[in-house]
Amino acid sequence: MAQIICRYRKGEQVRWISHLDLKRTLERAMRRAQLPLLLSQGHNPHPKLSLGPPLPLGATGDAELLAVHLTEALDPEEVKERLNEQLPPSLEIVEAWRLPRHKKKETFGQIDVAQYRVSVQGEVDPGEVRGRVEALLASEELVVHRGGERPERTVDVRPFVLSLAAAGAKEWGLELDMRLRTGSHGGVRPQEVVALLGLDGGDRRIIYHRIGLYAGAQAAPRKRALRRWTRSRGPTQGRE
Amino acid sequence: MDVESLLPRVIKPARYTDGEWNAVHKDAAGVRARFALVYPDSYELGMSHLGLHILYHILNSHPDFLAERAFAPWPDMERQLRDRGIPLTSLESQSPLREFDAVGITLPYELTYTNILNVLDLAGIPLRSADRGPEDPLVIGGGPGAVNPEPMADFFDAILVGEGEDAILEIAEAVVLRDREAALARLAEISGVYVPAQYHASFDGPGPRGSVAPRNGAPAQIVRRFISDLDEAPFPTRQIVPFVDTVYSRVTLEIMRGCARGCRFCQAGTAYRPRRERSVETLLRQAEEAVAATGYDEISLLAFTSVDHRDIESLVSELVERFGSRGVGVALPSLRADAFSVALANKIQQVRKSGLTFAPEAATPRLRRAIRKQLTEDDLFAAADAAFSSGWTRLKLYFMIGLPTEREEDVEAIGDLVQRLVAFGRGVLGSRAGRLRIGVSVTSFVPKPHTPFQWMGQEDRDSLAHKQRLLQRSLRGRAIKLSWADPDVSALEAAISRGDRRVGRAIERAWGLGAVFDAWGEHFDFVQWQQAFRDADLQLEDYANSHLDFSDALPWGHIACSLDNDALREEAERALSQGEA
Ligand code: SF4
Repeated sequence: MAQIICRYRKGEQVRWISHLDLKRTLERAMRRAQLPLLLSQGHNPHPKLSLGPPLPLGATGDAELLAVHLTEALDPEEVKERLNEQLPPSLEIVEAWRLPRHKKKETFGQIDVAQYRVSVQGEVDPGEVRGRVEALLASEELVVHRGGERPERTVDVRPFVLSLAAAGAKEWGLELDMRLRTGSHGGVRPQEVVALLGLDGGDRRIIYHRIGLYAGAQAAPRKRALRRWTRSRGPTQGRE
Repeated sequence: MDVESLLPRVIKPARYTDGEWNAVHKDAAGVRARFALVYPDSYELGMSHLGLHILYHILNSHPDFLAERAFAPWPDMERQLRDRGIPLTSLESQSPLREFDAVGITLPYELTYTNILNVLDLAGIPLRSADRGPEDPLVIGGGPGAVNPEPMADFFDAILVGEGEDAILEIAEAVVLRDREAALARLAEISGVYVPAQYHASFDGPGPRGSVAPRNGAPAQIVRRFISDLDEAPFPTRQIVPFVDTVYSRVTLEIMRGCARGCRFCQAGTAYRPRRERSVETLLRQAEEAVAATGYDEISLLAFTSVDHRDIESLVSELVERFGSRGVGVALPSLRADAFSVALANKIQQVRKSGLTFAPEAATPRLRRAIRKQLTEDDLFAAADAAFSSGWTRLKLYFMIGLPTEREEDVEAIGDLVQRLVAFGRGVLGSRAGRLRIGVSVTSFVPKPHTPFQWMGQEDRDSLAHKQRLLQRSLRGRAIKLSWADPDVSALEAAISRGDRRVGRAIERAWGLGAVFDAWGEHFDFVQWQQAFRDADLQLEDYANSHLDFSDALPWGHIACSLDNDALREEAERALSQGEA
């Protein structure tokens, strides 16, 4: 028995696949790869697969995480290679590692920060955007109305914007870099930040790309140091 | 502007992207003819249609041909496409449909016909065959609706009647000719292919009376194609695995085609004769290949009545034995109402009890004899007994109202039968009686061409509505869940199903008034359809409700299915006398 953690990339061609559909896609790829999946007990057995925080529909990411239970302790490299042969275009395992024996379960639940790179393509004035970024960071309160939620509510998302910067103007527009709180203790979506900057709408093309997942924002203030979730430094790695 | 840029603006955007596992991307430069295969409904429904997978597989397995897919865009996507003037494209290479050599469109059933016109229009292809020129692709139809091609005849250059496995490559060779006239001439020579422009339709008064005669030497009869050996027929084991969940997000194995039971209302029964089976050996091989190639965790056995397969028991046991330990389940969707079926279902669902479905269709022995449904009440109760005593608590029953020779007492008998089943079920279930659920689905009889009931008019909508109210009253109770088909929808189905070429004008008009996705309750507008028939100088009721004489010429008389009119008439007369008894 072993649990394998994988960091994977959700690319261009699969960015419109919902989280649930993506999970099914990964399960099917694992079956095609004939990985020794540990199946749940019961009458409708299914593999024990868990995914990290969902990406917004339409976003790409290369910090995505999955954990799967196997009945044999396969070499993580082998899992990665066998799986990559069975994944549809632009879905790819980047690295795989074994969950240390003393850990019972992946700890994706601890993830509370996501970093996005957002490219805004089309008509934008970089100077003006930088001004709006400064104003946004300087504001005490940022009220967002969430009409899609039940019950509808308004939320102050200012505490959830940890950092925000407009990176150099490109020929096609500009790029924003943002670190946002996410998870069960509240968060803000990158689309909401883009809307707060007044960049949504029009014929602009906005592409969301998640480049990092972190844990630690929830820790006590003195110890607040974000830990990036990768093989070498992820909390899943533990002290071996 | 391309389709990609519209995706943030539509619901379920994954419907319009490809890259699914096993989708085929071929280089257009290397082939002699390119096909766009269109299913005129949502991606999810289209991808659940086995015929599409089969043709896609056959064409793409051939080095000379290429096939890509397209579906009817949902109205939100349609609006985006129209607003920006983007033509409808295929999924694989995102090429406009107009640029293919041929566009093959499934005729699944009547309520998708406005979608077909919408797809052609969105693709920028003239709706009517007569208006197409040398630059336009050939528009070729086929599928279940082809047994009465007349309502859609003006919109197709050619329609294949019957099964496509053998015919598709002959059709492809004709498409290779490129020159429109030459290709149509070649198509007309292929057995089973109907080229409507070579025929003249005439009408004998209102409703479905009239005939279709060949011009300049075309064959007088189009004889339905069917494959003789299902075991040898190509079958796609590398089935495309959609990202989005569809009805058939599982391996589909076609274990049998056709049905010999001969229910008199059933068009599938006459259109897919004779009954043909695949051998257990072939099916096990296909199951292995398909599970390996798709990664699905369920195998679904497809047939009209899967328990009629000669070796069904050994097939099911083998499948369960081989795949059970790998976490791959087996599903058997088409059961008969008898104890044998339940025993079989038991084998595949050792403990998980989803639900069982039976179709008695009528509730009195007399009416069941008249429609030739070979099922007795003893069978039904034996099946229910077996089901309840092995742990099932949910049953679903299908009934039809408005069947020829039906009387009010037959309708009342439905309520009575269901209530007796409920009481029986409670008794068998004992302490678990509270969990008993009987779903009762009631549809209205729709007369279909090439069946013994093709001459019988549908009961008018008021009287069907009256019968529904009767049922509503007798089917009360906590354990009963009643659902039914809208009589307006059934009336439209009947009108198009028995339609002649003139009905095509009504379909075009309805589409012009905005009708699309008529099979989806939220889009169906009956008043609009009545208007469309009137605008075309027709009455919907003439087609749906009129009783025809056995001596009347029928608009689908030039299509030869398995049974000729004499045989159908004999069956119809027998039905009437059995119904009177
Ligand atoms: S209704 Fe079912 S059993 Fe009867 S002929 Fe049709 S397919 Fe066969």
